[in-house]
Amino acid sequence: MKVLHYLNQFFGGIGGEEHANEPARLLDGAVGPGRALDAALGDGGSVIATIVCGDNYFVENEDAARAFVKTAIEEHKPDVIVTGPAFDSGRYGLACGLVGQIARENGVPSLSAMEPDNPGVAVYRRDMICLPTGTNVADMGKILQQVAGFAVRLGAGETLGSALEEGYIPRGFRPDMMHEKPGSTRAVDMVLARINGEPFQSEIVIRDYDHVSPPPPLETLEGIKVAIVTSGGLVPKGNPDKLAAARADSYFHYSIDGMQELVAGEWETIHGGYGHHWVNERDPNYVVPLRSLRKLEAQKEIGSIYGSYISTVGNQTSITNARQFGQEIAKEFTEAEVGAVIMVPT
Amino acid sequence: MAVISAIPIVPYTVGANRIVRGMRIEHVCGDPTLSEEGDHALNMRIVQTALRALKTEVDAPTIFEPSETQAAEVAHVS
Repeated sequence: MKVLHYLNQFFGGIGGEEHANEPARLLDGAVGPGRALDAALGDGGSVIATIVCGDNYFVENEDAARAFVKTAIEEHKPDVIVTGPAFDSGRYGLACGLVGQIARENGVPSLSAMEPDNPGVAVYRRDMICLPTGTNVADMGKILQQVAGFAVRLGAGETLGSALEEGYIPRGFRPDMMHEKPGSTRAVDMVLARINGEPFQSEIVIRDYDHVSPPPPLETLEGIKVAIVTSGGLVPKGNPDKLAAARADSYFHYSIDGMQELVAGEWETIHGGYGHHWVNERDPNYVVPLRSLRKLEAQKEIGSIYGSYISTVGNQTSITNARQFGQEIAKEFTEAEVGAVIMVPT
Repeated sequence: MAVISAIPIVPYTVGANRIVRGMRIEHVCGDPTLSEEGDHALNMRIVQTALRALKTEVDAPTIFEPSETQAAEVAHVS
């Protein structure tokens, strides 16, 4: 049973964030955590080749990445493709999910493992079997044991049971099946169990993001106060408030009163999930586009700009924290009569 | 709210309604391979696309393309 493995540049041994733009390369055999995967597969199979690619490259050059993976599939004819584990690394999770989608399109089963909050799950959960992990990379060995077990089964062409039975992340499918009891009986049984305080399991597990109805469009932005928010981690140079580079639990206000633009050298991004060079050395307005908004303010295209921009870090940040930030910021903006918000994530 | 993102499929999937396609993760609102003047013009075009999004009726997550925004006459304020 032949396994094709996908790793990012970090786990693939190329390097850290400074190598996030590395194009995809195909290596023989197992690399990095792939060696433990290969060992865990035992007699069940082996890792025949590994695709290693920079996190930025893969998600920013989708067409090229797609072609690369397709060629690798044609060349090696794997029985199953394993990606990651990606833990809570967002771009890595997205790349793993995209590989899963390409695998599905080419008729190859695929398997990944990542934290359920990883955006890779949100975007690609229908394309792959994905095992849930925590955020601790030290669990790698244990996770790869589970991955190997599923890989052998998928590679053998086995159809897995439901997400609930098997423990993978629900894909949002409801396959048809025969049941000994009709739905009405099962529903009544569930109600009775609930009334009697007995355990029961709903057949429909819904895990979804909040649905936000779009507000009506603005007729004009003339006279409207516009606020800028970023999750790109832009702070005054030196990071006076010690905004966290990952898993942020706070956000901060930075005054832009009287400034025509953000000047390189006076600001920096401390975000732990992307290269800082361009924002720090060339133009902080890449994440807080004050310069353009000031020009539009001078031309009366917009009314005014809220006195501070708000900054946090969207890197492995929990949805719970992000939701709380959003609620607090929305309340503040409503009280301050902000009429429009421009948000720049990275 | 308009969200400017270099990976628009993420805000699209989680349900942001007005999304503007940014350039790249490391420089969402511009392109350092351009001249400074060209880069600033691109930044302006992206921000103008956000304003266009805010003025457009949507009933579901929608991605707005800066390349489809008419570059308005931008007076240079110095």
